[in-house]
Amino acid sequence: MRRTRLAAAVATLALLGACSTGSANDTADAGQPVSGGSLTWAVETEPITFNPHLYAQAKARLLVWNTFESLLTHDSQGGYVPWLATGYEVSPDGRTYTFKLRTDVTFSDGTKFDAAAVKANVDQLLVPNYAPAVAAVQLRNLDAVEVVDDATVAFKLKAPDVLILDFASSPQGAQVSPKSLKEAKNLKAGGPELAGTGPFVLDRYIQGQEVHFVKNPAYNWAPANAGHTGPAYLDEITYRFLKESSVRVGALTSNQVHVIEGVPATDEALITGNPALSLQRGLNSGSAYSYYLNVANAPFDDLKVRQAFRAAVDVDAVLTGVYRGTATRAWSVVGPTSPFYDKTLEGTFGGDPELANKLLDEAGWTTRDAEGYRTKAGKRLTVRLVQNAPFVRDRRDVLAQAVQAAVKQSAGIDLNVALVDQGTATKALADGEYEVFDNSRADTDAGAALNLLLHSAGAINRTGFTDAGLDGLLDDAQASTDTAARTEAYRQVQKLVNDQALVLPLYAPADQIAASTSVGGLGFEPTAGVPVSAYHLWLSK
Amino acid sequence: MTLALTRPVTGRLRLRTRPRPGLAVAAVFLALILTAVAWPSLFGGDPLAADPLNVLQAPSARHWFGTDQLGRDVFDRVVHGARHSLSIGVAATLIATSTGILLGLLAGLGHRYADEAFSRTFDALSAFPIVLLALLFIAVAGTGTTSLIVAIGVALTPHYARVVRAQTFVVRRAAYVTHAVAFGASRPRLVVRHVLPNVLGPIPVIAVIGLGEAVLIAAGLSFLGLGPQPPSPEWGAMLSEGRGYLHIAWWASVLPGLVVTATIISLTALGRHFQRRFEGRTA
Repeated sequence: MRRTRLAAAVATLALLGACSTGSANDTADAGQPVSGGSLTWAVETEPITFNPHLYAQAKARLLVWNTFESLLTHDSQGGYVPWLATGYEVSPDGRTYTFKLRTDVTFSDGTKFDAAAVKANVDQLLVPNYAPAVAAVQLRNLDAVEVVDDATVAFKLKAPDVLILDFASSPQGAQVSPKSLKEAKNLKAGGPELAGTGPFVLDRYIQGQEVHFVKNPAYNWAPANAGHTGPAYLDEITYRFLKESSVRVGALTSNQVHVIEGVPATDEALITGNPALSLQRGLNSGSAYSYYLNVANAPFDDLKVRQAFRAAVDVDAVLTGVYRGTATRAWSVVGPTSPFYDKTLEGTFGGDPELANKLLDEAGWTTRDAEGYRTKAGKRLTVRLVQNAPFVRDRRDVLAQAVQAAVKQSAGIDLNVALVDQGTATKALADGEYEVFDNSRADTDAGAALNLLLHSAGAINRTGFTDAGLDGLLDDAQASTDTAARTEAYRQVQKLVNDQALVLPLYAPADQIAASTSVGGLGFEPTAGVPVSAYHLWLSK
Repeated sequence: MTLALTRPVTGRLRLRTRPRPGLAVAAVFLALILTAVAWPSLFGGDPLAADPLNVLQAPSARHWFGTDQLGRDVFDRVVHGARHSLSIGVAATLIATSTGILLGLLAGLGHRYADEAFSRTFDALSAFPIVLLALLFIAVAGTGTTSLIVAIGVALTPHYARVVRAQTFVVRRAAYVTHAVAFGASRPRLVVRHVLPNVLGPIPVIAVIGLGEAVLIAAGLSFLGLGPQPPSPEWGAMLSEGRGYLHIAWWASVLPGLVVTATIISLTALGRHFQRRFEGRTA
């Protein structure tokens, strides 16, 4: 009896394993949407702030839209859908963007949403030292915000800037109640003090444990592509911060939580093998997860050493080892889902130890020390990667160790990896005490990411590479509303980055959601590709 | 104590003469571990050789302990890790014993006020768990192998200092010391010739037991990422790296964990054995 049951179970498992590899959307199991219920979702990353203006972690994006909303949102074709705005107009010279606003929206603290609120938010963003990255990059062409009437607001620009629409749909451009902006004691950290217009209200945050949201019953202004209208289905939702992937998977398989995100490739079989669970994957927008090489420091001031580092890594083998073939390899700094992605770069570098060794010999790193690392004039060929712990996801620490082993084995390069807290990382980066910087940006418009990462004025230009030609290309692309012209400019940018070996692209960041089949409405945000907010979810009875 | 008194004397004698297979196993295991510390390449290959196409392989004839998340041989890493983990333990114990002896002697032989000051400090420090003291030290001094060694050494010092102080009190009242004073021995000669050798007697015994504790604390702090940094093969760090794969590759963390456990049990068993021998001799 026991044996036959076991055999049946094994057969079922095998069958299910075979069926669910296509990552189909299993929400049909949850039936029709129902209202009510309390859902628990285990997330990998604890946000460093709940203030949307200071949003920086792609993994925190799904929390932002519960409480806050922007003027626009994205559709799945790279266009925009009205949200708190009902529409926008661009002046013929491309220097005035006029937004018409909804008149039926109130913040959860009772303040009315109007043109003055939009202006208050932008003014706050421009306060020195409040959100320097937003002020210096996303709003760098902004001249002034003018309140035309209660329901109309105009963004006056110093120069044409198509990315202002991306700002208007980004978390940083989300609308916080002007009353909170004025009165919040801890504005930068955010939390229950900050009122938004979203379908949920953040009512409890316990650091290191969880954040809890309750339904906003007055909510009735979802964007047209949200799938439903009126208040959210769920009464409340709790996000628990479980940093350890094995703990998250264990919490799901033991029914302690309904949904988890960040499922390591090695654990996917545990999910797909269980008929009560479903798994979905979505590729993120923005830039690929890449190593940026710091040309300001030796040895990466030498192009040959940069090229050698890139050639020394067999990215495919490393990704197979760490992600079991579930990761999508990146070939350019621009992510493969972006319309600007240059496909011709595929297969142009990497996995060539012979070339790496030849280049290093030419660059003068000809001798080796006792541990097998290359040396030049008695100095070891060492490069340092400083990983900022709150931003480490998808086992990027393990990936770094795999790259570390690869460059040592194939070319005798010493990649020194340090996983440190945010303060230490910020200091190391500010002091230039690094040669490798790792980053991926989930910007919905990849151009916004490139402005930050590659422009000489970019807030996170960690390559230290400055080039007037590169800046010119980025500026032209930002000013143009013509997609074909932008694509061509970004193609040239990617080629330049590739020729200079400034970047070692590794993989296209993706999100994985695993859930009990009782949860409906799960999916990924259009364009951004990150998990949807709780507005879409329901829990079947 | 009452239990021992009610027992027939023969029972105690039989206990002491009975052969101890456990002890022999512990000794052999420790000998192997010590060999691994001295000549790791005798047993294991390169602990850093990653093979991304053979990650998380189960134990087999080729990889006795399987491979880890980067395709490195877990057995090679355990063997090479012995050097890291044990040398941290030994170095920390050496620091703790030498500082402990010095401070204990100062307290035991010094002025009454000095004794009070030292003893109350030791008492206060002993009130903190050793791991917490070590963590405090690391928080101030930063992470790294040297810092870890010093942290554990400092944290264990009060333990040894108290033993030495108590022993000093016993010895300085012993007849041979009083006689030496009567014969007019100088104070330094008194300390070096008569007090120190007799105070040191129990130190090697408690040091062997303490070594087990030091290795355990070192592994624990390395587990938290406060010890040798990746890719160094260190037992605690291996446990930490392997824990994310416990569902699918138990060997990457369980087998190094078993080696840590066996090492500490062996050290403690051996230490207790010496202790019994030592107490038997002095009784």
